[in-house]
Amino acid sequence: MRRIPVLDALFPRRVTEVSPGRSKTTTPRFPGSLQLRHVDAGSCNGCEVEITQVFAPVCDAGRFGIRLVASPRHADGLLVTGVVTKNMAAPLTKTLEAVPRPRVVVACGDCAVGDGVFSKGYGVAGSVSDVVPVDLEIRGCPPEPTAITEALRVLTGR
Amino acid sequence: MSATAYLIGVSALCAAAVLGAILPAGQRLLGAALLSAVGCLAALAGSGEVLVSGHPFAMHSAEVLPLTGVDVSLDPLGALFVAITAIVGLAVSWYSIGYGAHPHASRTTTAVLPAFLATLLLVPAASSVATFMAAWELMALTSLLGLLGEHRRRPETRDAAQWYAVMTHIGAAAILFGLVLLGAHAGGQSFAAIAAHRRELSMPLRSAVFVITLAGFASKAGAVPLHVWLPRAHPEAPSPVSALMSGAMVNLGVYGILRVGEVLLGGGELWWWLLVASLGVTSAFFGALHAAASTDLKRLLAYSTVDNVGLVLIGVGAAGALQCDGDRLLAGLALVATLFHLANHALFKSGLFLAAGAIQHSTATRDLDRLGGLARRMPVTAVLFGIGALSISAVPGSNGFASEWLLFEGLLQGIASRSAVTQAALLAGVAALAITGGLTATAFVKAIGVGFLGQPRTQAAREAKDVAPSMLAGMGILAVACVTLGVVPGVALPVLERAAAGGLAGGAPHALRPGIGIELAAARGAIDPALVVVGLLAAFILAGSAVRFAPRPAQLRHPRRGEVWGCGRELQTARMEITATSFAEPLQRVFADVLRPDHDLEVTHASESRYFPEAISFHQRIDDAIERLVYRPVIAAVVSWGRLARRIPNGSVHRYLAFGFAALLLVLVVLR
Repeated sequence: MRRIPVLDALFPRRVTEVSPGRSKTTTPRFPGSLQLRHVDAGSCNGCEVEITQVFAPVCDAGRFGIRLVASPRHADGLLVTGVVTKNMAAPLTKTLEAVPRPRVVVACGDCAVGDGVFSKGYGVAGSVSDVVPVDLEIRGCPPEPTAITEALRVLTGR
Repeated sequence: MSATAYLIGVSALCAAAVLGAILPAGQRLLGAALLSAVGCLAALAGSGEVLVSGHPFAMHSAEVLPLTGVDVSLDPLGALFVAITAIVGLAVSWYSIGYGAHPHASRTTTAVLPAFLATLLLVPAASSVATFMAAWELMALTSLLGLLGEHRRRPETRDAAQWYAVMTHIGAAAILFGLVLLGAHAGGQSFAAIAAHRRELSMPLRSAVFVITLAGFASKAGAVPLHVWLPRAHPEAPSPVSALMSGAMVNLGVYGILRVGEVLLGGGELWWWLLVASLGVTSAFFGALHAAASTDLKRLLAYSTVDNVGLVLIGVGAAGALQCDGDRLLAGLALVATLFHLANHALFKSGLFLAAGAIQHSTATRDLDRLGGLARRMPVTAVLFGIGALSISAVPGSNGFASEWLLFEGLLQGIASRSAVTQAALLAGVAALAITGGLTATAFVKAIGVGFLGQPRTQAAREAKDVAPSMLAGMGILAVACVTLGVVPGVALPVLERAAAGGLAGGAPHALRPGIGIELAAARGAIDPALVVVGLLAAFILAGSAVRFAPRPAQLRHPRRGEVWGCGRELQTARMEITATSFAEPLQRVFADVLRPDHDLEVTHASESRYFPEAISFHQRIDDAIERLVYRPVIAAVVSWGRLARRIPNGSVHRYLAFGFAALLLVLVVLR
C-alpha cells in the first residue's frame, strides 16, 4: 500500500500488529475457505470502513477464500468490531450461539481487543473477550485492510 | 328392498328431527344423533343397492301433498347424490353429539339438522316438478334455520342469513318458473312424462328452460357470479350445518343441472354446455384465488368450495359438450371424472369444515392470525385436517389426486373432439384446473402452516385441547373414506360409471376398465395409486431407517438444541411469526386487479421526532369484487326505488282516488 508521508506525519498511525490469539497450532483452522458474519458490537464505524476495503478490489480477500455472509447460520465464525456495548452484549452471545461448530471469533480493532479509545465509556460492557471467547485479535485503530486480510489469511492458510 | 331402506332412512331422519325438538336437554343430542345416523345408514343401503344393481325404484303417494301427490324415484344418478349425502350425514350426525354439548346449544339446531338431512336426501329422489320444488324449498328453509341456529343475534350471522335467503329464493323462483314452463309444454309434471315428450318441444323453449333453471341451480351450487351468499353463509353457520351445506347441498345444484339439462331436456345444444363450462372456469379461478387470500379458516374453506364447484362445472360442461359433438365415450369419461371429484370434494370438504368447527369449538376463533401451534395441542384434529388438506391439494395417494387426474385425463382426451369450440373450451378447463391446483395448495399450506405449526399467537390457542371423541369419530369417518378412495379409487368407479351413464341423455359406454386403480378403456392412460402409496411408504421407511441406523460422526450423535435465529434480538414472541395475511401478501399483490384489497395503514409518531413511530396499525379487508361491482349497485338501486315509491302514498285520499280512477281508465283502454 502506498504511504503518503505528509498524511502519516499529520495523522500518526499506531503500528499494526497481528497476534494469532490463542490459536496454538500452525495448521490453518479453516483451510481454503472462511465464511464470516460481521457483528458491530458498538463500533465507531472506522473498522467497518476498513473491512469494506478488505473485500474491495485492492485487497480482495475473496481471493483467499474469505467471505462475509448474511447469517450466522451460514458462517464459520464472527468478525466483531468495536467495544461491546451493554445493549449489544446479549445479541453478540446469541449470534455466536447461532454459529455452527467448529467456529472462530475474530476481534477486529483496538476497541474489540480491549484498549481502544472508547473502552472506558459509560455504556460499555467490556472488550469482546469479556463477553465471548476470542480466537484471533487484530490490533489497530483502525486496523489497515492489509492487516485484516493478513490476519484472516492465518485462518485459511492461503 | 332399496325403496324400503330409503324410506326407512328418510323417516328415521324426520323422527330424529321430532326427537330433537321434544326430548329433554340431557337426551336430546344423543337421541337425535343416533337416530339420524341410523337413518343415514339406511339411506346409504337403499341408494347403494340402486347403484350396485342399477335397478331404479319409483313410488307415488297421493296423500302427502294435496293435488299432485308425491313422486319419489331413485335412479343411479340420484342414488349417487343420496349416497354421498348419507355418508356426509353419518359423519355429521356423530360429530353433532360432541359439538352440541356446549352451554348455548339450542334445541333448534338439534332438531333442524336431521330435518335438513332428510330434505337433502329427498331432493335427488324427487321425480316430479311439484315434489322436487317442495323438497327444494324445504331444503332452503331448513338450511336457513340451521344457519341461524347458533348465533342468531350476531349481526354477521343475520347478514349472512339475509343474503342466503334472498339468493336461494331468487334461485328457487327461477327453477320453479323454468320447470313449470317445461311441464306446461311437455304435458305433465312428472319427470318421466317430461323426458318422454321432450322431442316435441321447440329448441328455443328448451334453451330458455335450461338457462332459467341453470341460473337457479348455479346459485345453489355457488357458481360465480351467483356465489355471494356462500362465503358469508358457510362461515357463519354452525360447523355441522356448514359441512352439510358444502358437502351435500351445493352438490344438488350440480345434480339439478344434470337432471334438467341432460335427463329432462336431452342434452340440447353445444352452447348450453359451453355456458356451464365458462361458469366453471370463472368460479374455479375466482374461488381458488379468494381462498388463497382469506385469513378466516371457514371463509377459506367456503371459497375453496366455490373453486371445487367450478371444477365440477367444468367437467359437467365438458361432458355435455362432448355429448353434443356425438362423442359418447369421452363424454362418459368426463362425467365419471366429474362425479368422482364431486364425491371426493363432499368427503374432504365436509371433513375440513368439521375440523374447522373443532378448532372453533376449542379456541372460540377461526381467524388464522389468532391461532398457531395447534398441531401439538390438538394432535388428532391436526392429523384429520391434514388428511383433508392433502386430499384437497391433490397430493398423490389422496382421493383428490385420483379425481383430478381423471378430470385432467377426461379433458385432455376430449381435445380429440371434433368441434374446435369444444377443444378451446376444454383447453381453458385444463388451464383452470392447473392454476387452481397451485392456488389451492397455497391456501392449504397457509392454513396448516399458520394455524397448526409454529407457536400459538393467543391465549385461546395456547389453551386449545382436542375435542370430544364423538367429534373426532365424525371427522374420522370422512378421513377414512378419503384415504380409501385415494388408495383404491377403482372400487368406486363402477358405481360412478353407472351414475354417469344415467346422467347423460344417450347413456354412455364403459370408459374405464375394472380394477383397483384407474385405467382408461378407450385410450392409453392408467394410474394405480395403491402402487404409488406403497412405493412412497417404502421410500419413507427406507430413508427413515437410513437416517436412524446409519453410522454417523461423533459430533452429530448428540445434536445441539438452540434458539431459532432471530437476528440476535433479545425477545422473540409469537407475534413475530409469519401470519396468514403476510403469507398471502405476494399472491395478493400479483392478483390485485381481481382481489382489490383495501389497506389502511396508520402510523402514530412520537412527539419528539417523526423518526420514532409510537404505534402502527394495519387493517386489511378483501371484499368480494363481484359483490361490490354487481350486487351493491343493484341493491342501492332497489333501495332508492323503494324510497321513491314511498313518496307516492302520502296519505291524501284524493290522490288514492285519482290512482284508482287512472288505473280503471287504463284497464278500460287496454281491454277496449
